[in-house]
Amino acid sequence: MKILSGVIRPSEGTIAIDGKLVAFRSPIEAQRAGLALVAQELSLAPDLSIHDNLWLGHASAPMRRQTGVTAQKARSALVSVGLDHLDLGTKVRTLGIAERQLLEIARGLVRNASLLILDEPTATLSDNEISRVFGAVRTLKARGCSVIFITHRMGEVYQLCDTVTVLRNGRVIATEPVAAMPRETLLELMLGRKLTDIYPRHSTQPGDQILTVRGLTVPGVVHDISLEAHAGQILGVVGQIGSGAIETVRALAGLAHAATGEVWIGGVPLRLGSAPAAAASGVRFVSEDRGEEGIFLDQPASINLLATRLAEVASRGFLRPASLRKTAAALAAQVGFDTRRLDTPASTLSGGNQQKLAVGRCANRDMAGVILMNEPTRGVDMGARAEIYQMLRRFCDEGNAIVLASTDIEEVIGLVDRVVTLYRGRIVGTHQHPGIVETTVLAEITRAEAAL
Amino acid sequence: MRSALQDDTGPIGIFLVVAVALVAALIVRGNLSFDLILFSLLQYFATIGPVALGLGLTMIAREFDLSVGSTMGFAGCVAVLTSGDNALISASCGIGAGLVVGLFQGLAIAGLGLSSIAVSLGGLMTVAGLSYVVTHNETISFANQAVTIQMNAPLLAIFSVRSLLAIACFVIAAVVFVRTRIGANLIATGSDRTAATTSGVKTGRVVVCVFMLSGALAALSGVLLTFGLSVASPAGLTDILVPAISAAIIGGVSLSGGRGSPVGIAFGTLTLCALSAGLNALGLSPVVQQIVMAGVLFAVAIAAAPRLYRFHHWQALRVRNGNLQKTDEWI
Repeated sequence: MKILSGVIRPSEGTIAIDGKLVAFRSPIEAQRAGLALVAQELSLAPDLSIHDNLWLGHASAPMRRQTGVTAQKARSALVSVGLDHLDLGTKVRTLGIAERQLLEIARGLVRNASLLILDEPTATLSDNEISRVFGAVRTLKARGCSVIFITHRMGEVYQLCDTVTVLRNGRVIATEPVAAMPRETLLELMLGRKLTDIYPRHSTQPGDQILTVRGLTVPGVVHDISLEAHAGQILGVVGQIGSGAIETVRALAGLAHAATGEVWIGGVPLRLGSAPAAAASGVRFVSEDRGEEGIFLDQPASINLLATRLAEVASRGFLRPASLRKTAAALAAQVGFDTRRLDTPASTLSGGNQQKLAVGRCANRDMAGVILMNEPTRGVDMGARAEIYQMLRRFCDEGNAIVLASTDIEEVIGLVDRVVTLYRGRIVGTHQHPGIVETTVLAEITRAEAAL
Repeated sequence: MRSALQDDTGPIGIFLVVAVALVAALIVRGNLSFDLILFSLLQYFATIGPVALGLGLTMIAREFDLSVGSTMGFAGCVAVLTSGDNALISASCGIGAGLVVGLFQGLAIAGLGLSSIAVSLGGLMTVAGLSYVVTHNETISFANQAVTIQMNAPLLAIFSVRSLLAIACFVIAAVVFVRTRIGANLIATGSDRTAATTSGVKTGRVVVCVFMLSGALAALSGVLLTFGLSVASPAGLTDILVPAISAAIIGGVSLSGGRGSPVGIAFGTLTLCALSAGLNALGLSPVVQQIVMAGVLFAVAIAAAPRLYRFHHWQALRVRNGNLQKTDEWI
């Protein structure tokens, strides 16, 4: 995908557009050939207006910043993606993530792209917002524009796509019309093995209650949440984006300054609003934003694995390289990370491998505690997903309690033992496996949308 | 222009407050001539203004040109050394020297991916050293007295050739910044470099150009100042850096890039000049003046603090959510 759009050059092979061979050396050349890429890391400048962003980097834009023609073209692009309520002068900084995603698509329209590449455009969006993106994609399709839609979500393939190509470990596994590809076959092709393997067994017997939360409140986001987590169990906190699910987990990790309420870890009260205090009492947190908060992109994999436990490989404040290497290798073997790649910088690893590093930090701790995770498999391929699920179950067996927030309902139902549903920062319902039903959970997290 | 001026309400507001204070101070003192004060204010503006503009533009691109002080001094020395009958030629030589300094720095930063602070700090020292080399460590004087007199002669009571040229720089920069794609590309480069590159902006070229511009503007200011003073000294003008950065910050340029504009920088510089003129008129000692300046800078920094905005945002959110809850119950 990066090669197609001219960001990286291929070492071998050819690309043909409309039957002509092309070799892009820069994003501009790809753009001239009619390609537009909507990457996961959006390429909008937050300090520029909507109009300027739509025309930013356009290969043949006029020198004048804004003319009647450019404004009109920008406006009609906004209309086709359903953003006609926005003013062209609005700064992109003030827009939400879904609006920015749609704006990226609109930029492709302004550039008259004949081929639009969307890389997991729905990973960070709520259901309502996803349907807006789908609408925009369908409009494009009706106009005769081709779309490459990259996704990890099965459902989207069937809702939106005509042809599906399965990639695994850098190879094309299959290309078929969607109609000729049953769900199960597709999943097995993605996984490279039988479907039943992906989710581990559920826990049957909860252990001691490790985490107790009473009246947790983050002003404006989370209201009066009370819940418990038991050793050996995975608790899911589910809600749409903006429901407060992610924020609840962040508050427990000490990352919400204004949080109030009472929290006990193993019977000991926890001071809220301080990440070091949370870490000291046995709380481990894996962030939803891997690039910014999860791992150190410039550092090698080994340092990333050990970042939260440097004391274990140091003596009198000095790191001991031999011990560092040994511990890192042991941890890597545990989390299924290739030990030969321990010296590679994290930035060159895939999303799945990066997430293994972030999760691997929680392995093998002396003290059992609470592991908090937001979106544990966002941007992670199916194979690594299954490994991460197995890893989480193993942490549970070691006596930890896991609390995770996820917007992927399929994952929640397959993985967790107990689920708490949230709507607008309040708890709607609590369900216990095997009584977790997809339709009930969905109805609860979208409650008022149906009612209004 | 409407949306551009919207972003500059802060700096303009600060300037108005300081300007009113200046007028009040002058009335209190009573015995001073307004024309004279305004003239010297604008002369100071002509010295700091172009430097602050160049430096501020590099800051908008999320870089930093620390070398402006020594570039300014060096350009003055070059202009004197090349001086003959035609002052335009020697001025061009001085400005050309500034362009070359900027080009080298820009290429090092964009081409080799170095930090602009390190590069321009190196540039600051190298160029200061060069000034000593070309002048053989002596103060050199500018022989063309006619030009010196022309530089310092008041035009329309309060302006001079120097200050009019500085104002022209700002006007041209403001129009290019607001009306052409160059401004958009510059903001995008500073706002999110990766995003700008992915969307097809040639960010490397933007950085090289903005450093050349910064070098040229500092050189212009240095050349004009030298012509006005009729001497150039290799000891340079390194103490221009602090006022220039202050002017850019008061003018609404963000240290994290992407925010600011030539109009804002102009008003930031005017604020600084008015402040200094007012304090001078009140007869305060330079030490006290510095403390007052620092106070103003602090006030601006605090007013722009991200935490303060977050707090505001949170308050607004709380009000909005309160309403939401009410409607929920009502349903």
